[in-house]
Amino acid sequence: MGKDLIEKIKHYEELLVEVLNASQKYLGVISVKLLLERVLWDISQEYKEITLIHYDERGLSIEALAKTLENLPDFPVDEMFKKFFSRYVEILAKLIGKKQAEKIAEQLSKKDQQQF
Amino acid sequence: MERLITGIKNLDKILKGGIPLYSVNVISGTPGSGKTILVQNIVFNCAKSGLKTIYLTTTSESQFKMVRHLKEFEFFDDNLLENKFIYRDLAAYLRKEGWQKALEYIDQLIKEHGPNIVVIDSFKAIRNFFPDEKEFRSFVFEIAAKLSIWEITVFLVGEYKEEEVTTLSEFTIADGIFHLYGGEERRFQKRYLRILKMRGTSFEQGQHLFQIDSSGIKIFPRIKPSYEELIYEVASDKREEFGIPEFDEMLLGGLKQGTITALSGGTGTGKTIFSLKFIMEGVNKGKRGLYLSFEEPVSQLKANALSMGWDIDNLIEKGLVSFKFISPIEIDVDKHIYEIFDDIEKNKIERFVMDSVTSFEKAVDIQKYEDYLWALIQNLKKRNVTSIFTIMIDNPFSALMASELGISSLFDNIIFLRYIEKGSSIKRILGILKARGTSHSKDLREFEITSEGIKVLGKLDLKEMLK
Repeated sequence: MGKDLIEKIKHYEELLVEVLNASQKYLGVISVKLLLERVLWDISQEYKEITLIHYDERGLSIEALAKTLENLPDFPVDEMFKKFFSRYVEILAKLIGKKQAEKIAEQLSKKDQQQF
Repeated sequence: MERLITGIKNLDKILKGGIPLYSVNVISGTPGSGKTILVQNIVFNCAKSGLKTIYLTTTSESQFKMVRHLKEFEFFDDNLLENKFIYRDLAAYLRKEGWQKALEYIDQLIKEHGPNIVVIDSFKAIRNFFPDEKEFRSFVFEIAAKLSIWEITVFLVGEYKEEEVTTLSEFTIADGIFHLYGGEERRFQKRYLRILKMRGTSFEQGQHLFQIDSSGIKIFPRIKPSYEELIYEVASDKREEFGIPEFDEMLLGGLKQGTITALSGGTGTGKTIFSLKFIMEGVNKGKRGLYLSFEEPVSQLKANALSMGWDIDNLIEKGLVSFKFISPIEIDVDKHIYEIFDDIEKNKIERFVMDSVTSFEKAVDIQKYEDYLWALIQNLKKRNVTSIFTIMIDNPFSALMASELGISSLFDNIIFLRYIEKGSSIKRILGILKARGTSHSKDLREFEITSEGIKVLGKLDLKEMLK
């Protein structure tokens, strides 16, 4: 896997952790897991590879996804994660309110820009 | 707060707009209380707005049986079946595979159909599939969390008693609790709904009557006005005339606008004719009237009016006046009083007559009577509707009396009519006992009712005074 792709995957992993932790404050641990499962399922309708992201009591792991993407150099990783985060924040806004969801989205955006 | 509009008459009003979206709601009540019909009415109304429901039965009622019952209702539309209304048997899964598989099945259904609403009917029956309360509680928690995350509004229907609300797990996680129950009142079976809990929104507390007919569920909110409803502007000094010049003069121009008047008298003293005249004069002045009779049917009232030269039919056709008759043995005060307010608001009624309060009192449960009368009067005042309530006094020759009912303090004005013996004749007299906030004539005057109208004559002689 190219160095760029490795870094990209790592970056998205960090963003995922960030968003899960931030939303846990409002939803709680169990609902965050359910929300992640739901969004992964939604996005998997277009990008089935995303179901390789794993989340449990021990934490988040995108190792399996990373391994799969090794063999798919042209895979639209950015687009997939963009859709993921967009959908996640969209549903979050419905559950906890637009204002709170926008705060989390802003947090994500800052972290995203810091990296690149 | 985004809401699910139920489309049930007055339910959204009681809920200040509807049920909060993604909430978990328990619909509880004894068998036959109307729980299933309530939920089915809601989901079919929602289906017509494009919302999809998965309806899970845990009693294994077959689809054809369910449809057969639903077909009796106007809200049912078979085009919505398997389209916006997906009916599935959860009991089969629970029986054969256990609750974890049942949860997976629900998961699968959600992913396949993307519902906005999920109903589990009966939720209480599911308890039998769990080995203990602890496991059931886990299930309840998991299902509630999952369905909310999938942006689904949930209805859990169950045959719960009210006392179970404080003890069972499903009530702890519920955002909303609707409790349906029935009772007998004056030989009528009545159905009531109470909202015991609704997170995220205020709602109208208390007991609300509801009925089930072919159109579905109709709710009649309790009419006891809240504190906010009691704050209203005091009516101006405008007057509402009877159109009887001498009588209007006694009232210094007529009844004060927005006031409530007791028109008291024995049988045949002229209460109905005076009340009719009041309504007719209102129409002459461009004010819509509503005459509610508990005594005489509309045909009799029309005949009475015609004898005075008033053509009511024409006015009814033009929508200037409404006449309603409710038999005292058929009065359902929760329902009828609500319908009156609906009428008053919709038709912008400015003059109202209730003939008579005495019949109303005899027809209503005594506990409720004063409460309802007070609430009715307050609501009329708030709407600035000038109103007359006739009161029947048993003895038409009795001494000055406003009411045998002990309710005269509720009224702004009290006018009485009675008979006296004068020589070898019986004469009618009237007087004004009270007119709050204004002066009035203190005279006792004779009056006549002829085919040419009501004529108020001279003041009574001292020697003709009441015995």
